[in-house]
Amino acid sequence: MVEKVKFRVFRYRPEDGGRGFYKEYEVPVKKGMTILDGLIYIKENIDPTLSVRYSCRMAICGSCGVRVNGVETLACHTQVLELRRRTIRVEPMRNYPLVKDLVTDMTPLFRKQKALMTWLIRRDTVEQENPTKQYLQSEEELERYLQFTYCIQCGLCYSACPVVSTFPDFYGPQPLMKAYRYYADSRDEGGEERVRLVDRFEGVWRCHFAGSCSAVCPKGVDPALAIQLLRRSALKG
Amino acid sequence: MLARGVSRSSVIQSLRVMLIPGRYGLERWSYVLQRVSGVVVSLYFIAHVLETGNFIGGITVWSVPEYSFAERAYEETVKLLKNPIFDVGLAVIGFLVGFHTINGIRLILAHFGFSLGRPKRPEPFTPPPSFSSKQRALFWLSISLAVFALLYTLDALTRVFRP
Ligand code: HEM
Ligand code: SF4
Ligand code: FES
Repeated sequence: MVEKVKFRVFRYRPEDGGRGFYKEYEVPVKKGMTILDGLIYIKENIDPTLSVRYSCRMAICGSCGVRVNGVETLACHTQVLELRRRTIRVEPMRNYPLVKDLVTDMTPLFRKQKALMTWLIRRDTVEQENPTKQYLQSEEELERYLQFTYCIQCGLCYSACPVVSTFPDFYGPQPLMKAYRYYADSRDEGGEERVRLVDRFEGVWRCHFAGSCSAVCPKGVDPALAIQLLRRSALKG
Repeated sequence: MLARGVSRSSVIQSLRVMLIPGRYGLERWSYVLQRVSGVVVSLYFIAHVLETGNFIGGITVWSVPEYSFAERAYEETVKLLKNPIFDVGLAVIGFLVGFHTINGIRLILAHFGFSLGRPKRPEPFTPPPSFSSKQRALFWLSISLAVFALLYTLDALTRVFRP
């Protein structure tokens, strides 16, 4: 069975400058069709000027983040009929510079991750590059950070965060969560250095626990939890 | 007056994000209500100092006014405050204070990492551990206390429930 659903899509052309506008498209929708399928349908059949970013189409690459009816979600991970609406509003993510239409510039997210050194830190870099033995972890050591490794860097949480919206210098949920992911890893030697980086106004102290990051995360990562745990570590010094 | 680099539309956008919970769930409602209640109670505090000061004639109190003047100031303040708008306002303040306290304690616990779940492997259709049942219970407790404070304030002012 095919149903007609109206897609109200945000359009923005950088060469026009200024504000964007909404454009409506009628899309025939079948059971199982995702928002991304709908956007590709528009691009192929109605309006080839629509810009969308995607790659894997299976919720693993994290490139298709958009806001659907006001809430952040992966376009490829949301089925149209599941929403039970005749009109569906599709907008780009917030808190990122807009490139065109639904495509946002993810640079702030990656810049902040870099500032928080979200990679494994080992003092002995020679050994790290050419390990001479295995570095085993116990089940409990793994559980401390495993949840936070599921992040696909889609940046939806960063878009949903009201603190980033009102105070753009805030590091934001994903970068802080990633910092905790390494801090809690028994193989990591970042330790105090990591705490020092987040123990500041733009760091953990700015979080208001609005929980929107964890509410929208498509991978069940719970950045809000990671930030509170990181804050506890910062408090302990 | 806007600071450099801050456009009018970005201020409106910030206000919308701060004041409209949208469909982000209960924790976002908590964020909005905690903010609104905090700011409104702060403003009320200033109004309250002015209002109670007026009973004794405002800043003239330092000059030891005449008895008749003090009496008139008192009467006028009572008359001004005897107004259903102030009564409703006070009931709303009751609601906001009730909410702000318990929810504030809930937030303090969360901010220090207490009353939250532990990290666990993500499962579909299960809430993230930070939205723990303890946290949720405290939120609803704050709402209950707020509703109770609202009814209590209205009752104290109007005696509807106690004839
Ligand atoms: C037992 C009493 C109180 C407790 C436990 C409490 C707790 C809190 C907490 C934890 C926050 C931070 C929320 C966040 O991180 O976003 C907060 C915010 C705030 N509170 Fe209170 N508070 C209390 C009384 C008051 C009073 C009496 C006032 C005003 C006269 C007030 C005004 C504010 C304001 C303006 C905010 C800012 C809202 C924000 O930043 O989101 N609070 N309160
Ligand atoms: S924490 Fe979740 S929402 Fe945030 S970037 Fe990672 S996968 Fe996306
Ligand atoms: S296209 Fe890869 S996550 Fe949606």
